[in-house]
Amino acid sequence: MFWEPFATWLESTWFHGVMIDIYWMFPLMETLHFLALIWLFGALLVVDGRVLGIVRFLNMKACMKFIPVAMIAFSFSFLTGLAFLHADPFNYLANPGFQWKMALIAIAGINALWFWLGEHKELLSLADGQQAPFRAKVIALISIVLWVFIIIMGRILPYTGGAG
Amino acid sequence: MDFLLWYEEGPVGLFIRESLWGYPIVLFSHAVGMATVMGVVVALNMRVLGFAKELSIPAFDNLFIVAWLGFFINLISGLILFAGSSSTYVFQGSFQLKIGAILLGGTLMKFVLGAVRANKPAYIQKLLSIVCLLCWIVGVVTGRLMAYLA
Repeated sequence: MFWEPFATWLESTWFHGVMIDIYWMFPLMETLHFLALIWLFGALLVVDGRVLGIVRFLNMKACMKFIPVAMIAFSFSFLTGLAFLHADPFNYLANPGFQWKMALIAIAGINALWFWLGEHKELLSLADGQQAPFRAKVIALISIVLWVFIIIMGRILPYTGGAG
Repeated sequence: MDFLLWYEEGPVGLFIRESLWGYPIVLFSHAVGMATVMGVVVALNMRVLGFAKELSIPAFDNLFIVAWLGFFINLISGLILFAGSSSTYVFQGSFQLKIGAILLGGTLMKFVLGAVRANKPAYIQKLLSIVCLLCWIVGVVTGRLMAYLA
């Protein structure tokens, strides 16, 4: 497969050795991955919840402060996820659950970009209690649904392929 | 103990141990529920600790309905997972710590909201909030580590 040279390279790095030889590295990375996930999901619940109108009396402008929180949390998820990949690259990359998860994250990224470029400015002028435009609500709903499926894919990865 | 063995050997225990997709489905429900409850807990405590001060705390109310929904998903999926080997889990330190942390964290969440509503001094609100957040984090960490500390 096209990713095989990448997997071979990952296995040749010193960090692969760290992930394999130090037995508590994997559980540590998993725990950090979970903590990053709840921070990311919490930030999304605030922003998307406000746009969807679930918590429409939250100040929209202040809710947007959770966007950088989501981005930092995502970076942590990404880095800790990269650590898992170093540990067992061939099994992860060949795993359909992992491939789906990565594809969904890419779509969620495009969706977030669409939100930022297309809706963000207009939303800032919303008064407290005012409903967001329908278009923005669709983006927010897609975001929550995608992340739920990303969590699901992540959790069933061990059952859809050989990776642990 | 008899009750635990009865529960473990009953239909729920059998389902979670033997159905091919039963275990992963219940497991991912538990992860989605966790993200929901913890997401709201994290966001609200960040606000109480001084982040995004323009957000009105009472306006978070509907997110708590979402958090309770997540909590019930986790209670049910947790009880099903527990049936897998309940008589072993109860003696596992990480499990005991997890349940304790969640009970304490849940109670403290009530206290945090109570302190905000009663307009208690900021340092009391923040102290309760930080202990509450720590309890929930301990709940997540010990939950994850249960798989390794068996």
